[in-house]
Amino acid sequence: MSKKNSIKFTLIRGIAALAIALLVAFILIFVSAAGENFGEKLSNSIAALREMLVSPLFKKNGSFSSRNLSVVLAGTIPIMFTGLATCIMFSANQFNLGAEGGIMLGAFVTALVAVYWKLPGPLLMVVAVLAGGIAVALVMLIPAVLKAKLGVSEMVNSLMLNYVIMYLIGFLMNSYLADTSKGITQTYPFQENAMIPQLVENGSRLSWGFVVGLIIVVLCWFFMYRTKWGYGIRMTGLNQPFVMYSGMNVALIVILAQVLGGFLAGFGGGIEMLGRYNVYNWKALPGYGWTGITVAILAGNNPIYVPLAALFMSYLTQGCSLMSTNANVPAQMISIIQAVIFLLFAAKQFLAGYRQKLVVRSAQEERAALEKGGNK
Amino acid sequence: MSEYAIQMKAITKVYPNGTMANQDVDFNVKVGEIHALMGENGAGKSTLMKMLFGLEQPTSGEILINGQPTNLSSPTVAISKGIGMVHQHFMLVPSLTVAENMVLGMAPTKSGIMIDYKKAVAITEEYSQKFNLPVNANAKVMDIPVGMKQKVEILKALVRGAKILILDEPTAVLTTQEIQDLFAELKELKKQGYTFIFISHKLNEIMDITDRMTILRGGRSMGIYETKDVTPEEISRLMVGRDVVLKMEKEEARPTDEVLRVRDVEYVNEWGKKMLNKVSFSLRKGEILGIAGVEGNGQKELVDMLFGFNHPNAGTISVNGENIIGLNQRELREKHISLVPEDRMLYGIAADATIEENLISDRSGSKELNNGVLFNMGAIHRMSDDLIRDYTVLCKSRSQKIGSLSGGNIQKVVVAREFSNDPVLIIADQPTRGIDVGATEFIRKKLVELSRSGIAVLLISADLNEVMELSDSLMIMHGGEIAAYFEDTRELSDELMGKYMLGIEHQSPEEIRRVCHE
Repeated sequence: MSKKNSIKFTLIRGIAALAIALLVAFILIFVSAAGENFGEKLSNSIAALREMLVSPLFKKNGSFSSRNLSVVLAGTIPIMFTGLATCIMFSANQFNLGAEGGIMLGAFVTALVAVYWKLPGPLLMVVAVLAGGIAVALVMLIPAVLKAKLGVSEMVNSLMLNYVIMYLIGFLMNSYLADTSKGITQTYPFQENAMIPQLVENGSRLSWGFVVGLIIVVLCWFFMYRTKWGYGIRMTGLNQPFVMYSGMNVALIVILAQVLGGFLAGFGGGIEMLGRYNVYNWKALPGYGWTGITVAILAGNNPIYVPLAALFMSYLTQGCSLMSTNANVPAQMISIIQAVIFLLFAAKQFLAGYRQKLVVRSAQEERAALEKGGNK
Repeated sequence: MSEYAIQMKAITKVYPNGTMANQDVDFNVKVGEIHALMGENGAGKSTLMKMLFGLEQPTSGEILINGQPTNLSSPTVAISKGIGMVHQHFMLVPSLTVAENMVLGMAPTKSGIMIDYKKAVAITEEYSQKFNLPVNANAKVMDIPVGMKQKVEILKALVRGAKILILDEPTAVLTTQEIQDLFAELKELKKQGYTFIFISHKLNEIMDITDRMTILRGGRSMGIYETKDVTPEEISRLMVGRDVVLKMEKEEARPTDEVLRVRDVEYVNEWGKKMLNKVSFSLRKGEILGIAGVEGNGQKELVDMLFGFNHPNAGTISVNGENIIGLNQRELREKHISLVPEDRMLYGIAADATIEENLISDRSGSKELNNGVLFNMGAIHRMSDDLIRDYTVLCKSRSQKIGSLSGGNIQKVVVAREFSNDPVLIIADQPTRGIDVGATEFIRKKLVELSRSGIAVLLISADLNEVMELSDSLMIMHGGEIAAYFEDTRELSDELMGKYMLGIEHQSPEEIRRVCHE
């Protein structure tokens, strides 16, 4: 299929998926909406849907809200990193689901460095975040090496690892690290020079971490499409026997992809921690890893589309949470709506018939062009 | 009741991609006979049988089962007409027991819900005794030997009411004893009125067990014969033959130093079958050594040994005096060994990657294509464009997905990569299988050109034309051994080749030993 048709198809497919998802969402909202009669329910539902779609950007009076926008942007930071991590691991056909535990462990390790290690100036910030990344990279060696050397399923391993990480952190916090002067389980406050400065001072917690995220996105793209390692990772994902036959080291690639993914997740955890909080207080898995998988799938495993996909997910999350507070739609409904949108996007067969038509037309055009060229 | 169990009349099959697999084939099988269907790989045997089992529909022609015109639209219909198929690669669920496999899809139930396992075992044992095909009903399929798996497959077809059984190369995976058992069982079933179609290209088996045979060549029928009326020589002449002879112009070979040295290589596969037996040969700079033979006689195993996909149980292999057994593909490529793989879609390319990405797979870490940590995209583009031009790959651009190219152009990309990395030894395994004439001619010319420039070429091909025209000297493999060696291919005839390929004749050890050039 030609590039033009390919883009056209992607666009039409995206819009169609969104339209159907919104329709389903509307029906769900309508079913659960408050109201005495049909008309009232309908107007409440429309108000709720409007809330979901426009409130992440606009104020009540309809004017543009830069604060709302920065909240949405701040929401992209952690899922950009988990999205990138998942992109790289999935590109190599490694279905490692460890970004979830990874971002939690990264945040935790970063927090410990930020609390206890006395380092001068911004050096502490840099070291803390890197420590988070390296810690998770090392942990990801477990599923990666087991997969590469023994063929153990990385999916099962990394999934279980998430819970190991969560309970291990819980144990360490409760037993040794909690600030005993506080009523809830949290660490002592971070040192002042560990904090990542805010990009805008409006309480939205949009830190410079966002810019770092965008830079990492570009670096990841270069890594994947402009280096031999990224090339090896992508080819392994496309056809592993081909990579082996070509003389590349498949085991090393399998390990590299997962370790790098772990590093990105941990690094993102550190950025999120130092950009948004001043103590560590996560008790459960944050969910950013799961959203990161969605982001990676939406981005088609291409790092360059990760910010867009992250923005979409963050916007959706923000819109839904505003809808649930302002428009009286049950919070559970939010997850359902998100799931519907995601399913339609991820379904390979969605509009496959239309795609086939485009392919056929493309092929016919090419043939016609070739014959024309041949006649000259 | 018709005398014939099956009559296929004037069957023609054209696949959507334009391949004519069968052309005007007449095929008939009498009730209660064992009928051999013979032919080389690609002769159209599988297609014909797929149509009989309802997996494919004929483009034109008529099929009669027991005298009745029948539309075999699916395997379900074929089974209901009493046709059963025993596939070469068993269609069994390894983690289930024999009894469970036996009743799969038609399981007896208790009160309609729970599977009645006891009854499944009873059915299995009943059929096993009735047809004298002993199997262990409670054993898991993954734990039983290959011979028993085959019995399970046959019983499975019988349980489903098959009267006509298609056996697709049933002896390919069996040991000699298991083959004897199978033949005894088939003869017994034949007495009970069952009809068999026996697909094979092993002559001695055909002579041993079949009543009549149909020989296919190039998609056409070469006729139906009574087994007792034909000699192995006649069969081999009918089966093996060349349709068109493309003459290759090539200079006299002037072989020099030994490059590849294979001595006494032996390999026993996972089922305990000896696939390579004392294989020894030498290949020298500047010559093309061909390996001919019917597929499945050890060629695949030999290539696996040479390119590190498998390791021999005994023997030595060296390239330019250095051992290569135990090396992985990266180390082999560092020794400048190239392979044009038989399965190009599995090993040769990544179909969803671009042409360019496929061209650099063996050299992505090279100095020329990297600038520090980053790819040197300029150099990569230049190299790709050069190769696409030199190998006349018909495409829109280097960034087109390779999977969208025709087979011939895909193969040109593969050879462009394999031939351009300064090889000392090229292993070309079926280099032109299934590709168009233009690409075939191009690749053959290239192989001759490279060999004349001092590269050692090992050519493995099931295409007689190809091995005879391209090779300077030629080996024939049969039953995992080198059956013959011919120093000069020009004095060879198809008939003589056929005799060695089908195991009718075998050279003396001294004659074969000449290929070691000692």
